[in-house]
Amino acid sequence: MKQLEMFMRQHPWSWSFLAAFLTWAVTAAYISGTGGLALASTALSFSTFFVMVGIGQMFVITLGPGNVDLSIPSTITLSAVVSMMVMDGTNAMILPGILAAVGVGVLVGLFNYGLIRVLTIPPIIATMSSSFLVQSSAIALGRGVKIKPPAALEWISTAKMLGVPVLSLLVIAFAIVMAVLLNRTVYGRSVTAFGQNTRAARLAGVPIERIRYLTYTLSAVLAAVCGVFLAGFSGGSSLNMGEEYLLASIAVVVIGGSSIAGGNSNVPGIFGSALFLFLLVAMLNTFGAAAGLRLILTGLIIVGVVTFAGGRKESR
Amino acid sequence: MRIRQSILLATTALALTVAAVQPSVADTSDKRIALSNNYAGNSWRQAMLKSWGKNAEQAVSAGTVAAGDAFTTAENQATEQAAQIQNLILQGYDAIVVNAASPTALNGAVKEACDAGIVVVSFDGVVTEPCAWRIAVDFKKMGEIQVDYLSGRLPDGGELLEIRGLAGVFVDDEIHSGIEAGVANHDKFNVAGSVHGEWTQTVAQKAVAGILPSMPEIVAVVTQGGDGYGAAQAFSAAGRPTPIIIMGNRHDELTWWKEQKDANGYETMSVSIAPGVSTLAFWVAQQILDGQDVPKELIVPFLQIDQADLEEGLANTEPGGVSNVEYSLDDAKAYLESVK
Repeated sequence: MKQLEMFMRQHPWSWSFLAAFLTWAVTAAYISGTGGLALASTALSFSTFFVMVGIGQMFVITLGPGNVDLSIPSTITLSAVVSMMVMDGTNAMILPGILAAVGVGVLVGLFNYGLIRVLTIPPIIATMSSSFLVQSSAIALGRGVKIKPPAALEWISTAKMLGVPVLSLLVIAFAIVMAVLLNRTVYGRSVTAFGQNTRAARLAGVPIERIRYLTYTLSAVLAAVCGVFLAGFSGGSSLNMGEEYLLASIAVVVIGGSSIAGGNSNVPGIFGSALFLFLLVAMLNTFGAAAGLRLILTGLIIVGVVTFAGGRKESR
Repeated sequence: MRIRQSILLATTALALTVAAVQPSVADTSDKRIALSNNYAGNSWRQAMLKSWGKNAEQAVSAGTVAAGDAFTTAENQATEQAAQIQNLILQGYDAIVVNAASPTALNGAVKEACDAGIVVVSFDGVVTEPCAWRIAVDFKKMGEIQVDYLSGRLPDGGELLEIRGLAGVFVDDEIHSGIEAGVANHDKFNVAGSVHGEWTQTVAQKAVAGILPSMPEIVAVVTQGGDGYGAAQAFSAAGRPTPIIIMGNRHDELTWWKEQKDANGYETMSVSIAPGVSTLAFWVAQQILDGQDVPKELIVPFLQIDQADLEEGLANTEPGGVSNVEYSLDDAKAYLESVK
């Protein structure tokens, strides 16, 4: 027990997994039969999308106070619209479609960075204003026309092996790569250094402007890729498909035990908190909680988890 | 200072011109109508704006009115829309048609417009300010007829799943109360679970997928529109048989319904409000400017598509849009005649 407590103190991400597990256990106990397993499988399916954008948002937030990417929802929408138009429902065009989506991500990242660097606009304002432009482009381009995703893309987005969503396996592998990128590469260490003390990082020779550019681009590209798979998962793009990812992308980072002030982040927590957020809503829906009560409980539980996960500070 | 003065002069000049044309009541060819819209981010609103734009353009080129401009706020905030309405007052529009972000928060700005002699017509998202006209939809009825339809299809009743809209919004409460009333009338039905789909396909899909593992056999899904396709996907992903899902006239929903109908004879119904109600609001404003006596409270019928009308309904729905009915001046006149 003591050891477990030590482990949890040293690994702030473990709280989100504990919370996710408890939420799942309570709901599963209430559901009869194998419903609990089905619930776990569904939770894995939906959390993959939050993990994808959450990782991008985490790198941006790691850059330190004021750094946040608010253009994620509109980038999801625009890339979904563009990729579905390029693919036009044919398997042969999947790769060009994904490349087009990545292109959208790179452009949005470049644009965000340009606003921040050239016009010295604070990131929160820069990404918010660019999100209006990106969302308008999506509306103008797509006009809300729903183009069916190619069969192969739909398959990979929804397929399950022994109840485990294939896409979630890919995203777990991807998250491991991202964890290595954050903790073991020059780029990742530079991002952390940037967030801990930008001035010190610059004096130590970290190319901070390049780091910032790469980070905003990474976030936009991940949102774009998420848009492609989300369109594959939900049968095409829609104009408001990205909306719920604005606050959720920030919430999964913070609940996952990363510091909102930057300079101290982790990847596993994003997975735990994405599962937790989905299971929490599923649990309250299952118990038939009214919308108002559900929002209050969601708020209170998130505050609780963040408080616990943030408790590590005193132990240092 | 100089700028402010010139604005003042311009406004006064405008006010004078407006005052000068006031006597010719029956002619609206020099009247300008504005649309104040709070949100444009979904297919229904896009179709609504498109209908408005097309109709206004025709009306202007035919010389019926001088302008029919549409303005949409970026953030879907009542304060922002109130400021927008104040701007429209200053710009000297003769009528402002409003789809409001809030039934009450815009009342101040609406009253200012009325006091400035401007005709205010609210529709869809109506305002409570007494000086404005209201073109409302009987949302409660929209919920009730869903259960009525189901009682015909499923005489033995069964467990229902309800997909609601956005928590705390008037429309959501109204449709929900209609469904409650319907279930009370047909007591063989029971609502086993309820989720908020926010009229959005992806949100509905996620919410339904989350509650399905705990649900008994669901015989039908009652909805609010925009959420039917997402619900269908959640059922198929969970490996459950597809229940009767009430659709909401969106093109993706009707397309899915048609596919199912061709594949296995799937039957359901679809109901929503035609986004072309914006054109009705336009002509109501024009008729009021024309000096016609129009009642303050108007109710528009919703647009229902049954199994037999599916092909026709789908053909009349633009890809990406919502089934639509647009009103011409004559349609609007006939409608106003019918409610007198």
